Amino acid sequence: MAEPLPPGVNADRMADALDRFRKIVGSDAVFTGEDVASYHDPYTISNDPNRYRAHAALAPSSTEQVQQIVRVANELSIPLWTVSRGKNFAYGGAAPVLSGSVVLDLSRMNRILEVNEKFGYALVEPGVSYFDLYKYIQERGLKLWLDVPDPGWGSVVGNALDHGVGYTPYGDHFGMQCGMEVVLANGDLVRTGMGAMPGNNTWQLFKYGFGPYVDGIFSQSNFGIVTKMGIWLMPEPAGYRPYLITFPRAEDIEQVVEIVRALRLNNVLQNAATIRSLVLDAALFTTKSQYYSGPGPIPDSVAQQIMADQDIGMWNFCGALYGPPPLTDLLWTATRDAFAKIPGVKFYFPEDRKRRPDILIHRADTMRGIPKLTEFGFLNWNGGGGHVGFSPVSPITGADAIKQFRMVSGRVREYGFDYLGLMAVGFRELHHVTVIVYDQSDPKERQKLNELFGLMVREAAAEGYGEYRTHIHYMDTIAGTYNWNNNALMKMHQRIKDALDPNGILSPGKSGIWPRHLREGNKT
Amino acid sequence: MKPIACVLLVASALGSVAFPAAGADMTGKEVFDHYCTYCHGSDDGPGTVQLRRTRGKDQALLSARTNLSADYVEYVVRHGLKSMPPFAPSDLTDAKLKALVAFLSARRSQN
Repeated sequence: MAEPLPPGVNADRMADALDRFRKIVGSDAVFTGEDVASYHDPYTISNDPNRYRAHAALAPSSTEQVQQIVRVANELSIPLWTVSRGKNFAYGGAAPVLSGSVVLDLSRMNRILEVNEKFGYALVEPGVSYFDLYKYIQERGLKLWLDVPDPGWGSVVGNALDHGVGYTPYGDHFGMQCGMEVVLANGDLVRTGMGAMPGNNTWQLFKYGFGPYVDGIFSQSNFGIVTKMGIWLMPEPAGYRPYLITFPRAEDIEQVVEIVRALRLNNVLQNAATIRSLVLDAALFTTKSQYYSGPGPIPDSVAQQIMADQDIGMWNFCGALYGPPPLTDLLWTATRDAFAKIPGVKFYFPEDRKRRPDILIHRADTMRGIPKLTEFGFLNWNGGGGHVGFSPVSPITGADAIKQFRMVSGRVREYGFDYLGLMAVGFRELHHVTVIVYDQSDPKERQKLNELFGLMVREAAAEGYGEYRTHIHYMDTIAGTYNWNNNALMKMHQRIKDALDPNGILSPGKSGIWPRHLREGNKT
Repeated sequence: MKPIACVLLVASALGSVAFPAAGADMTGKEVFDHYCTYCHGSDDGPGTVQLRRTRGKDQALLSARTNLSADYVEYVVRHGLKSMPPFAPSDLTDAKLKALVAFLSARRSQN
């Protein structure tokens, strides 16, 4: 099928724009026709083939090229959908919300500009992946650790901007961001924080500079294009000891989370640890058909069989200790003693795990910042290939945890899917991420998933739970749940959008923020 | 793209050294190792598990396959297949894809 044009742009104007883009980035960096296929959402949810389809893509190699591109886009009213590397696959990949957009793919801007071992930071462009940065650090023997999300091929910049999380003490990626360079919609170039002062040497050391702290408005937004970003890196600790604690019953989550809160708020629990569900862990290395061939989710008897077979629990707490052994010994004693009161609890270090592959052996890499793609194994659970994340935020309380677990797992299983969930421990909150694995080739399954997702969003919102991040298909839906005081926050977003990007060329529809001319139902 | 020129430009602008993160000229084996091995390089990689499930044990490890045609490899890389997402030409360039295709389809050519 022909690639769609954006609203209000005819074929001649788009052809003119693409010609001018070719003069900026080179003809080998403008992709049209069949080459656009790799920018489609690989795990589509919508059954409408005309939605979320890019018209073309272009890949600049410098900030100067990005500036020139936005000036042309402004002149010709061409919507650009910016992606750092386009690997945000559980949330739409590189596909735009607005069909007909031109994907601005920053993959070729992949320079590692500085890695500073003394102060523990890196300054990178958006095309730098976790694999790239890890390799760079290892090759030079630098005593620094990354904090990585589960898929290592994603962008360091893009993941932080989308509020991604990792699993070391530096697990809040946007929290570890320090200093940005941003191309605004009119082509102006801005450096935030201390970067605004010529000759200053603390751009990656102090976030706030002087005046309003603006970095946040460039995350999950369409207010500018981030072309450089500082990210703090963790000094290699004097010791490292990953562990696994398993719990045998689903209802244990309530007591587990109560204990986690006390440990986390007192910094006994050092890292962004995770409490992972049985099937999520089982699915990394085995398939559903190895245990169950019936319809719908696995029954309890099969869950018990998997637990025994893989030596894991209904919940599996993956954490780690960082520091010199005298310190980690003390922290471990406090951690173990806190959880020991739960009946049936089991404690493991890597040397206790004999099965291969094994969840703790795998997570031990991730919790020390080694980028991998192992977590993609869960896509093989039922063979369907598709996945989407449902990610409401919860306080760290047992009551909220079990309430969310029952709400989400109940609905997921009611619709015939298995519950693959985890609760990632933040500084004061839990990210309850449930991955729904579905058959993306089956329109009925996509429709069922869509119905389920909408229902879960509504039910979560009714209980005061909001999602921290979402797939392109649900950005309007989720934005609509943040509607306190007659949508006051969205109205403010819109005023910022109109001021910074009056022609609405930057990522229309990102996080539910639409430019003025597309707000009145003229989106597709 | 001219990586060296870009590096010098940025280094000058920031007063620090800049490094291109990925090489432009890679052999097929290097492309495979860089882009594919995380999923297809070991017995328990997600790609290997998927292929074992769908095509059987003998067809699970991608680098050992003897039935991969050039057209098939090219199509799957650009369009994805089941859980495998596509790879964009901005990163895995046409030149790299050509090298990868030659590497993966070489065993078939020998048969």
